[in-house]
Amino acid sequence: MKRVFVLLAVCLAFASLAGCGKPEEVLSGSDNNQEPLKDTVIVAMGVTSEPEAGFDPAYGWGAGEHVHEPLIQSTLTVTTNDLQIAYDLAKDISVSDDGLLWTVKIREDVFFTDGEKLTAQDVAFTYNTVKEESSVNDFTMLDRAEALDDDTVQFHMAEPYSIWPYTMAIVGIVPEHAYGPDYGQKPIGSGRYMLKQWDKGQQIILEANPNYYGEEIRMKKVTIVFMEEAAAFAAVKAGQVDLAYTAASYSEQAVDGYELLSYETVDNRGFNLPAIPSDGAIGNDVTSDMAIRRAISMGIDRQQMIDYVLNGHGTPAYSVCDKMPWFNNSAVVEHDFDGAVILLEEAGWIAGEDGIRTKEGLRAEMNLLYPANDSVRQALAAEAANQMEELGIDVTIEGVGWDVAYDRAQREPLLWGWGAHTPMEFYNIYHTMPETGLASYSPYKNETVDSYMDQALTSKDLEESYELWKKAQWDGETGTDWDVPWIWLVNIDHLYWAKSDLQVTPQKIHPHGHGWSIVNNVDQWRFE
Amino acid sequence: MKKWVWHILKNFIRMLLLIFFVSIGAFVLVSLSPVDPLQANIGQAALGALSQEQIDKLEIYWGVNEPPLQRYLAWAGDFLRGDMGISLLYRQSVSSVIMQKLSSSLLLMAFAWIISGGIGFVLGILSGMNRGKRIDRIIKGYALLTASTPAFWLAIIFLLVFSVGLRLFPVGLSVPIGMDAASVSLSDKLWHAVLPAATLSITGISNIILHTREKMIDVMESDYVLFAVARGEKRWEILKNHGLRNVLLPAITLQFASIGEIFGGSILVEQVFSYPGMGQAAVTAGLGGDIPLLLGITIISASIVFLGNFIADVLYGVVDPRMRKGARL
Repeated sequence: MKRVFVLLAVCLAFASLAGCGKPEEVLSGSDNNQEPLKDTVIVAMGVTSEPEAGFDPAYGWGAGEHVHEPLIQSTLTVTTNDLQIAYDLAKDISVSDDGLLWTVKIREDVFFTDGEKLTAQDVAFTYNTVKEESSVNDFTMLDRAEALDDDTVQFHMAEPYSIWPYTMAIVGIVPEHAYGPDYGQKPIGSGRYMLKQWDKGQQIILEANPNYYGEEIRMKKVTIVFMEEAAAFAAVKAGQVDLAYTAASYSEQAVDGYELLSYETVDNRGFNLPAIPSDGAIGNDVTSDMAIRRAISMGIDRQQMIDYVLNGHGTPAYSVCDKMPWFNNSAVVEHDFDGAVILLEEAGWIAGEDGIRTKEGLRAEMNLLYPANDSVRQALAAEAANQMEELGIDVTIEGVGWDVAYDRAQREPLLWGWGAHTPMEFYNIYHTMPETGLASYSPYKNETVDSYMDQALTSKDLEESYELWKKAQWDGETGTDWDVPWIWLVNIDHLYWAKSDLQVTPQKIHPHGHGWSIVNNVDQWRFE
Repeated sequence: MKKWVWHILKNFIRMLLLIFFVSIGAFVLVSLSPVDPLQANIGQAALGALSQEQIDKLEIYWGVNEPPLQRYLAWAGDFLRGDMGISLLYRQSVSSVIMQKLSSSLLLMAFAWIISGGIGFVLGILSGMNRGKRIDRIIKGYALLTASTPAFWLAIIFLLVFSVGLRLFPVGLSVPIGMDAASVSLSDKLWHAVLPAATLSITGISNIILHTREKMIDVMESDYVLFAVARGEKRWEILKNHGLRNVLLPAITLQFASIGEIFGGSILVEQVFSYPGMGQAAVTAGLGGDIPLLLGITIISASIVFLGNFIADVLYGVVDPRMRKGARL
């Protein structure tokens, strides 16, 4: 008890010292009652969200693992809350019958923040530059962009690519006259915000663009600070930020003046099951049995996983693209433990004395890998192993590094995380590669699935392509839902602490990874 | 005088050799590291949305399939011409990235270094002069305690107590959140450096205390102090006339040698306090497989540490001319 007092005395001494130093900062958390409505907001993001290479679309600003709206620049299209396509700069989009020529009409009333008019030349310049320099955007399907006049731009494709509007939604348009190697450091755009200041390694300050052509911007100043998870939580507890990302492990805590916000995502976790028999290097004799794959998908209790591992902050995942416009509802499987057991037994997998099933001398066993540095995936792997054990499948788990994970996933299941705002991810996971005749991340092939996806990419019409993507999942006879080369477990909710009076506008389904997604519509947030 | 120049020249050559070996060591380590730069920087999920063609293009950019020797020689060649290369992550020259990071780190480290050196020296003398008394026991106890306290842990405690609990200090960054760069004053910056610097100096101080204390005890037991006491000199006079110069030597060595420790400690402390600096950049570069940046940081840090030791070496001669002879050996 005495010691507590001593500590208190020391603290008080410090407090009085501090008082003369810098009082306004100490108070800033509590005295905004009398102020008129606040139009500035402070958001804490993870340190990896800082765009090291700057705000240049060519170097991944807006794109990459955490797709988001580039804010500083405008894009031709935008994705809506349910991931359909809407227009931003574009007024009209048309595509030729062979899918090789896209013609886009753009608005004529858009100016860059330096006063220059945004023309089709800038658009063409942007796409050609991005194609040359691109780091995380894939532009190999684009041949070249060309401006026909001031407000018409044409994209000449190297191959048909029906989902081009999804690419157009993440490429920020840069000014040709003000672009150079230094652009990423001092970006000029025509978007909702201007980069006012960038204290590298610490914070970014954005200010509303007064001449923005779109809806009125409510939030005039946005400050984004970059902090580790624990530091961000400390900042919340100290009342120094308005909104901060957080993890499920903090979600049980209560913080005065803050609420926990939870957003649905397509940030999924699931494991692959090699779908071809083993030849030594790739494939797996147990998982290549379709009955095993289906029984796992049916027998796993996803909700229990969410409750145990994610503290309830997640939704069951049935595919890599849940809730996307190209998601086929047929993927949803009811949890049916008894059904899974019957399926296994009918397929000849009979339980032995130790409870583990065997079929013609082959033991139902597998080694489930997970990235060793990811505690959530480790817990999911452990929970999946427990549940599969009950089905009579012997599962060991092993943490591995990514240096070996890609190779080993060709013969053993690995716990992955995916989730993108483009069907290309679905394509890359399930479509076969010409060199090997198998899919790239886990051996699998289905020619019908391949052909639906090829048709989807060459399709002229986006709506029609959605249907083809869905058919690749299940067309009534076959599809990825039928073959089950991947078991999808959960979509992890993205969690944030937000000041109780902050009204965050409804969000579109977040992609993989906590990042800039949350501020996609920061211009419309407000305090009440 | 000539010997003096030769001494410096020899040290300089030694430094060049050291940097050469450090660069090779660092390069071998990164080459052996299992970090896949594509996975680390593009992210596994983003990789899934890329075509093979694009992945091939990126592998060339990150030099994934280039033979290590060739990469090293290319880097070393540029370095000798004064070009540290372009950071793959930041897409800027390595020297400008380091300049940015170093400028904020230096303030923090200088702050911590001066505090720990000054206070450590005074406490060490106090303790040594009062050997066995209560004040000695307290100081010694404190030094032993902090010697075994990890800076990282202390940083978190400080953050929780002073920033979160008492809300006296900011939770992080080196400048106030959301403040216009033009209106950030030096006092703002110092204010933000207080907690991280305090963390660094509190854990860095113990070495200086303990060594100064030992030396002070030696001095106090020496014949010349015994003689001085017999002559009736006061404690303060003894310290001034005989103690300081003798005690200063080990203190200076340690103080300059401790630059390395402060450098290392700052990496962890910067992480906790979201403080921008070399530490953060080194971690990002290491985890991201950004070889030019990592090598650049390694070499700059090695040079700074070497410089610290070198200055200590030179100051030896200044403080105690007898030591200059030793330099010849």
